[in-house]
Amino acid sequence: MTRVVVTGLGVVSPYGAGAKTFWTGLSSGTCAIRPVSLIDTEGFRSRIAAEVPAEAMATLGVSTRRARADRLALAAAQEALADAALTSRERGRAALVVGAVGGGMLEGEEWYWEETRTGRPSPRIKSLRSILPFTHAETLGWKLRLGGPRETVVMACASGAAAIALGAEMIRDGVTPIAVVGGVDALTRICFMGFNALKLLDPEPCRPFDRQRRGMSIGEAAAFLVLEDVAHGQARGARVHGEVLGAGTTTDAHHVTSPHPEGDGMVRAMELALAEAGVTPRDVQYVNAHGTGTVQNDRIEALALRRVFGEGGVLVSSSKSLVGHTMAAAGSLEAAATLFAIQNGLVPPTANLHETDPEVPFDCVPRLARPAPVECALSNSFGFGGQNVTLVLRRFAG
Amino acid sequence: MHQEPQHALRRVVVTGIGTVNALGAGGAAALAAALADGRSAIAPVRSFDAGDSPSKLAAEVDEARLAGLVDGDAARRLSRICRLAVAASGQALADARLDPGDGARLGLAIGTEHGDFRSSEAFAAGYLRRGVGGLSPMIFPNTVMNSMGAVAAIALRARGPTITVNQATIAGDLAVAHGAAMVAGGRADAVVAGGVDELCAPVYRRLAEMRVLSPMGTASPEGCRPFAPDHNGPVIGEGATFVVLEEREAALARGAAVHAEILGARWSSIPVAPHTAPARRRDRGSAVSRVLGEAGLDAAALALCYGAGNGDPAVDDWELALLGADLGAAGAAAPRSLAPLFGQHGGLGALRVGAAALALSRAQCGAALVHGIARGGCRTAILLGRAA
Repeated sequence: MTRVVVTGLGVVSPYGAGAKTFWTGLSSGTCAIRPVSLIDTEGFRSRIAAEVPAEAMATLGVSTRRARADRLALAAAQEALADAALTSRERGRAALVVGAVGGGMLEGEEWYWEETRTGRPSPRIKSLRSILPFTHAETLGWKLRLGGPRETVVMACASGAAAIALGAEMIRDGVTPIAVVGGVDALTRICFMGFNALKLLDPEPCRPFDRQRRGMSIGEAAAFLVLEDVAHGQARGARVHGEVLGAGTTTDAHHVTSPHPEGDGMVRAMELALAEAGVTPRDVQYVNAHGTGTVQNDRIEALALRRVFGEGGVLVSSSKSLVGHTMAAAGSLEAAATLFAIQNGLVPPTANLHETDPEVPFDCVPRLARPAPVECALSNSFGFGGQNVTLVLRRFAG
Repeated sequence: MHQEPQHALRRVVVTGIGTVNALGAGGAAALAAALADGRSAIAPVRSFDAGDSPSKLAAEVDEARLAGLVDGDAARRLSRICRLAVAASGQALADARLDPGDGARLGLAIGTEHGDFRSSEAFAAGYLRRGVGGLSPMIFPNTVMNSMGAVAAIALRARGPTITVNQATIAGDLAVAHGAAMVAGGRADAVVAGGVDELCAPVYRRLAEMRVLSPMGTASPEGCRPFAPDHNGPVIGEGATFVVLEEREAALARGAAVHAEILGARWSSIPVAPHTAPARRRDRGSAVSRVLGEAGLDAAALALCYGAGNGDPAVDDWELALLGADLGAAGAAAPRSLAPLFGQHGGLGALRVGAAALALSRAQCGAALVHGIARGGCRTAILLGRAA
């Protein structure tokens, strides 16, 4: 089977612009969850989130007239392409898979708020042209001259991971030797208000796997990877960050917002991914968990991990404790975190974790990054609608 | 141009069709009847007052028809667009007479242009009217665009991969192409694939204000006239349509009625500015050339071509230019459009695939191409052949 490797990485995260900035923040255990500045949070249960700092937004080199999510996506994808050092000819063949949920909703909401409150037409109506998720892919395809197959996948919080899985499939199916894949979401009112309404947000920075956890924290980000057929990458002398060894995608078909109580879909996603990768649970040293910090998700994910790995069989940590739940970006952002963990032999910590829930029988790497040799790791992403995606990533051994 | 896949791709057949559209609802027979009748469902908007909107036409699903297709519990719990998706995907599975077993090998692929904007609007309006207390935790999950896929997966017991794709004009085409890739690549044994959209008053009004619907600010009469000299924009429709795609050998083994075979399904893109459709811009990596090449067919083998042309002059002209470049004189027969019958919506791609499959099942020879192109340059090509 064709081997798929990662030859480019680009990230805009709550730590700022750049993949290295992301890893520096993550590995130092710095929690980027702070009071919200982008939207009015008066009266909400939670008033914090992990925003991309204004000073970082100002240095992205993308027109401020674009939707915030487009700006995040363009900057991250540009970095990934530069990192991969693709020629314009190679870009012209590259597929593009974007995981997205909110689209340009932040600006669309400003239009809707203004018209509703004033009762008068607003010139902000132009923002509606960028409101749908697929417009990110149109913008990236055009500005970056990506001429291969293009698509936008909406799989809730698993969207970014699904984009990676789909890009890898296209390479393995022989559709293209190169795919630019990733996820993006900017903070939106609907998302912030919705998770507040569901009482799923912790008023304090989230504490995944902690006995006292009270919910998640929202974040925003974009993370893109350049995937490549290993033979194609080696022929052009590409630097390889790691290998996408396998992926598993399943559906709970159980409930729109609650995971299957036995973690059925999660277990099947992990098992499918391991089978496609041709590795066993014992070959895996680390799992970058979905780990949202909600009572239900963490308990059921831990149950699923126990079913796959056995108690304590693997190191587990949640990047969402550091950068919040970045929605459609989470899957690709956490895949990047997992690749960095493999490259650096350093497992990023779970911030704010003081007392691990007894129902989570794993070493969740509390508060401080842990040096550990990691050859092979999983990145889990689970979303509304019972959507489960697991990626298996491995150190590239040539 | 392209690599060979490193694993054998499986053959894919169409074994079921399910639709809830402005002309009717049901399985393959209902679609065949609507196509044979040839009557357009486009009429003045009934579900809301179009008032002084510059556009006043649509193809709407009758509310009473939809109410009879889902049970009372679903009718209470689900948003309207979710009911459309559940009803049509269920019809497709029933049409295929497919028992999905535990559902672990059944996938779902849904395309949508707009998703559940009614719920998004209702959710936001609750906040603007009553503040934090006006936010409904029941409505919020519907605002995520994969909610239709989520409820359909539950209804169908589809526990394999499910995917929602968002795309203008050709969302359903893209979903069907994805479904075919899932089956061909062995990631699922069967996939229910198609699309869904519904008419939403605020969306309709804003699109009309932005002059992207017929009559697009022109003086000629409002209407859906793809490829005609006086085409002046699309007319919105609504509904859901799905096809069931199965691995051929498994379908034959269970005695399924095979409507047609998917000989190839690809998607590509032409990097142009968002929302534009420059008719002079050619496609260097054409999905059409690729599916024909991979199937070992030339353009002369095509007995039929359904196009995405929906009356938007830019899209119509671009589609004709692209197909002309790909197919040449041998395939120069004008593409047919179903938009004048059903209106433009996310289910239209699967309607085209279903219509092509039905045409082939009655023909003695030939292949059919279902082509898609959208403003912004996303392109699809689904090649169907008669079931051998």
